Amino acid sequence: MKKKLLATIVSTAMVATLLAGCSGAAAPAADAAPAATEEAAPAEDTSTEAAAPAADAASGDLDFKIVVKSFQSSYWQAAVQGVNQAAEELGVKVECNGPNAESDIADQVNMLTNYINGAPSGIGLAACDQSACLDALQMAKDAGIPVVCFDSGCPDAPEGSVLSTIATDNYGAGATAAENLYAALKDSIASASAPVRIGEVNQESTSESITQRGLGFIDKFSELATADGKKVAVVGNEFYVNGAKDKGDEASADIIIEVAVPAQTTVELCATEASAIMNKSDVLGIFGSNQVAAEGILSANENLNKLGTEAGKDILAAGFDAGTVIKQAIKDGKMFGAVTQSPLAMGKTTVETLYKIANGETVSDIATDGYWYDNSNMDAPDIAPNLYD
Amino acid sequence: MGEVILEMKKIDKSFPGVHALNNVDFEVKRGEVHALMGENGAGKSTLMKVLTGIYTKDSGTIIYEGKEVEFNSTREAQDAGIVIVHQELNMVGHLTVAQNIFIGREFKKGIRIDDKKMNEEAKKLFDRLNIDIDPTMTMSDLTVGKQQMCEIAKAISHDAKVIVFDEPSAALTEAEIEDLFKIIKDLREQQMGIVYISHRMDEIKVITDRVTVMRDGCYVGTLITEESTKDDIVNMMVGRVIYEEPKTKSQVAADAPVVLKVEHLNAGRMVQDISFELHKGEILGFSGLMGAGRTETARAIFGADPKESGDIYVNGQLVTINSPEDAVRAGIGYLSEDRKRFGIVVQKTVAENTTMADLPNYMKGLFIDRKKERDVARKFVDSLATKTPSVDQMVINLSGGNQQKVVIAKWLCKNCDILIFDEPTRGIDVGAKNEIYKLMNKLASEGKSIIMISSEMTEILRMSDRIVVMCEGRKTGELTIEETTQEKIMNLATRDIN
Amino acid sequence: MEKKKVPAKIFKQEVIVFLVVIALLIFFCVASQDFRKYTTILTIMDYSYYIVLMAIGVAFPLITGGVDLSIGTGLVCYSLAGGYLIMFKGWPTGLAMIVSILFGLAIGTLNGILIGVMDLPPFLGTLCTCMITRGLGSICSKNTGISWPTTGQPGSWFRSIFKYETAGGTKIPLGFIWVLLLAVIMHFVLNHTKIGRYTIAIGSNKEAAILSGINVKFYHIMAYTISGLFAALASIAYSAVFKTVLPGTGAGFELEAIGGAIIGGVSATGGAGSIIGTFIGVFVICLLKTGLPFIGLQANWQQIVTGLVLIGSVMVDIIKKRREAKK
Repeated sequence: MKKKLLATIVSTAMVATLLAGCSGAAAPAADAAPAATEEAAPAEDTSTEAAAPAADAASGDLDFKIVVKSFQSSYWQAAVQGVNQAAEELGVKVECNGPNAESDIADQVNMLTNYINGAPSGIGLAACDQSACLDALQMAKDAGIPVVCFDSGCPDAPEGSVLSTIATDNYGAGATAAENLYAALKDSIASASAPVRIGEVNQESTSESITQRGLGFIDKFSELATADGKKVAVVGNEFYVNGAKDKGDEASADIIIEVAVPAQTTVELCATEASAIMNKSDVLGIFGSNQVAAEGILSANENLNKLGTEAGKDILAAGFDAGTVIKQAIKDGKMFGAVTQSPLAMGKTTVETLYKIANGETVSDIATDGYWYDNSNMDAPDIAPNLYD
Repeated sequence: MGEVILEMKKIDKSFPGVHALNNVDFEVKRGEVHALMGENGAGKSTLMKVLTGIYTKDSGTIIYEGKEVEFNSTREAQDAGIVIVHQELNMVGHLTVAQNIFIGREFKKGIRIDDKKMNEEAKKLFDRLNIDIDPTMTMSDLTVGKQQMCEIAKAISHDAKVIVFDEPSAALTEAEIEDLFKIIKDLREQQMGIVYISHRMDEIKVITDRVTVMRDGCYVGTLITEESTKDDIVNMMVGRVIYEEPKTKSQVAADAPVVLKVEHLNAGRMVQDISFELHKGEILGFSGLMGAGRTETARAIFGADPKESGDIYVNGQLVTINSPEDAVRAGIGYLSEDRKRFGIVVQKTVAENTTMADLPNYMKGLFIDRKKERDVARKFVDSLATKTPSVDQMVINLSGGNQQKVVIAKWLCKNCDILIFDEPTRGIDVGAKNEIYKLMNKLASEGKSIIMISSEMTEILRMSDRIVVMCEGRKTGELTIEETTQEKIMNLATRDIN
Repeated sequence: MEKKKVPAKIFKQEVIVFLVVIALLIFFCVASQDFRKYTTILTIMDYSYYIVLMAIGVAFPLITGGVDLSIGTGLVCYSLAGGYLIMFKGWPTGLAMIVSILFGLAIGTLNGILIGVMDLPPFLGTLCTCMITRGLGSICSKNTGISWPTTGQPGSWFRSIFKYETAGGTKIPLGFIWVLLLAVIMHFVLNHTKIGRYTIAIGSNKEAAILSGINVKFYHIMAYTISGLFAALASIAYSAVFKTVLPGTGAGFELEAIGGAIIGGVSATGGAGSIIGTFIGVFVICLLKTGLPFIGLQANWQQIVTGLVLIGSVMVDIIKKRREAKK
């Protein structure tokens, strides 16, 4: 009885998989024809440049599938934009899909499986859940379909299934914030008679991305200041103080970097910590290492009113990520600037990497940069698409 | 006595597994105090709960003021003029007297509660009843007796025509009981019908006009109080004759050693300079009125409350008792008057309760040795004649007397030689009382030493070999059973009053 | 003359807590010069509104002898729901506020039914709704942080309810007045209306309340409905003070509110309490929260200190009870 039931379930599942595979394969096949004719024209124009890739495979035959976390936010829309840009440039066929919400993990796995059954040339994946995709990745590996992860990696993926992971270099992104903030403060630091203070608010000290950003900022800022002959000390949260390359000596320092971490990752606790730092009279700059921390700094400023780029304001603030609140603050000159991750570039690089794999090149993990943006370049074409709401 | 105001006919009520009321008849006349008697579980409270709408009857009729009625809530019964003064006080401790009396029907000024008017009305009510209580006092600051008066005042303020008193005197002092009776007599004068539920035979004789007796959910009969004797009533209650003869001679050997000696014990206002001795095999009665400090003394000896000074010797050795743990180690067991709170864990089985104080001896490695536990429990069930279907029965399902036996088993299991019984038969019906008495005598004859705190004179006279009398926190006398009379005890117990 | 005795007892606790607040203020002013600024007052006020409002509400379940753990996540949930309607559906702010409040009333009433009618233990019942509101909040906002209209944007008028900026740029913490007013109103409700009286009765002796013919179920529900209502009001205050509301947060807010109420003299075992005391008690928590970073104490230490203060105030309550019992 039990066996019979099991057999029925298995066979039903097989039929369903077959059907799904067929439909998945059929759709791109139908699309393929017009796409190929359209791409024929640009291919001729760029014949000299495109000679190399065109040599090993007809670009039009390659079709990549991209699975994003969702289409909910403009972050992902920017990523899709990057994917399409690259597809156009390389002359390959790309199809993007994603679940309705980032929490619809099962839907995403389902999409991924359907794509694998369609046997595409490669798959780009931004996994909603690190572990939910593992079975599907094994399937892809067995079917010989290369997978590139972007935005978020799958650290536990079966060996050899994920050929490359493309994600932001958080340490570098933190350093980018330090470079820009230091450049703006250089003169005031040089002319200061007493020690000055730079604040940093991190929402926590446990996740890889946040700690790397925080430490990247601290190390870069110290490096630049030391190069100008200033002594730097790092104080505050033990994790960051101990993680910094050089924690210095507070008593003799010219620049004190004070790091605060709230007990919980909520806006109001970030704001409380930010208030405490910003209330000190020797503060010149402050950095919030993600959206919550940056918004906490802005919340604190509601009462203190010390932030600003115009003359007469005491503190320059740098943030991270985008979102309406931060973008508005930068536009108004309340916040000096911020580092954004580049979903656009991530999308683009994903397709380029898949293309390389299809052409037999070996690839490794790629770290994409964080981009600095401020009032002056917010609307620039290479920045604006990365500034999601 | 006037005409019948309330008549309950052929009331039947079943709960799953229990036929709680079986064709019960009951009536109350205007201007009458009608006692409702019966052992615990006889169905008195159930009958009153059916009357006041807390339970719905299965069949039968209730005729009130000539009309058939059926109340669906206490509120409906109240509105019709039938109110109940509960045994356990139902007062909201954090509110004032007036707020309690008018709870559920506050006077209002717009949305605001008119506390001023409520205080005035409460005052008027108290004046009518000749009660001297300030209506603005917080309820929890009053003595139990005063709280009871408030409860009565609250009942009367509902324009009551029938008032049910459910064991009103259980927690009152003699003086307070006097006051209560005065009020009840006043109410009788005002032509109210009064139902009086009580275990105390002497009260029944003093205050009631008729007695209805119930047994096992059935109506047994109704007597005119004046024309019947105590034995008549008791016989109807238990269906057998009980002898409550006082002890005439101490059962303790003259040379019995002193097992417990307390010297100059002080613990707050209620325990001042208490000294006494307890001999092996002796039952030492502690008599006195409510609030004389007997329970407080016991608790101080047992280490449940902190002591200020005083020495305790067990078998001639000076012992330090700072906690019940110390006391148990010294071989002293305490049987609280409030079993449900301090004595037993009602949701556990007989066996589990039996070994509770001596669990380390019933362990097999990290686990409790269930077999050994059951065996010892069975041994005590047999020797104490505890009525329980098995040792795996939940204690909550046992009757009060049998619960008390489980507590005794617990201390015997722990090998305690000195047992302090605090009101050992409170809330236990007459039949079971006898068994507890027999058991205590047996324990004494086996060489256990017992301190028995009791507010019942008959119990003291019947059980004690020697009697210590306390009054207002002091020991006022010590009597041998041979010289004791009820009058002597009362004299000592009330010496400092007035 | 006897009458004054009762309020005087509660009043005393309020005075003690008030003195603690003053002492803390003085301490922080002496310990940190950065603290001695007008802006610090603004900050303390800003961060106190939502806790005070939650505390006033949760005082009612606490006085019934229960607790409401759902107010923290509830606050975030109501705020996300309202904010979503403004941000993505273009609703006017006022209408969205009404939705938030109705949402709060509904969840509060649900709590009341679970506890008052279905007899779930309050801890369990509100823990369930705590989880439910946490999930609902994320669904309402589609998992993204929500910002109610910020200053300068249309519909941001509601922010000036709490903080009014004069033409000269001076900011006035108007919210304090409203919150104080609500505290006074609820103090009256607790002490002089049926809802309040029966809330105390349920906490002090539920059996007695039932036998007095009171519709205990209804008033039990009302206590939780009030809690839900004030959680919703708190959500508006929170949205007005902070730029963004994040889904998945809010757990832990309720502990600050409950802590404030208990410091302010609400009995941890129910039956007694003061709303004015609660109001002052919350400021002890807020002062610690805002002030401790100023004296350079790391975040984790702040929580330890707050916990110790709570233990202290509960001990005061227990010692007081012991003394009363001895009398």
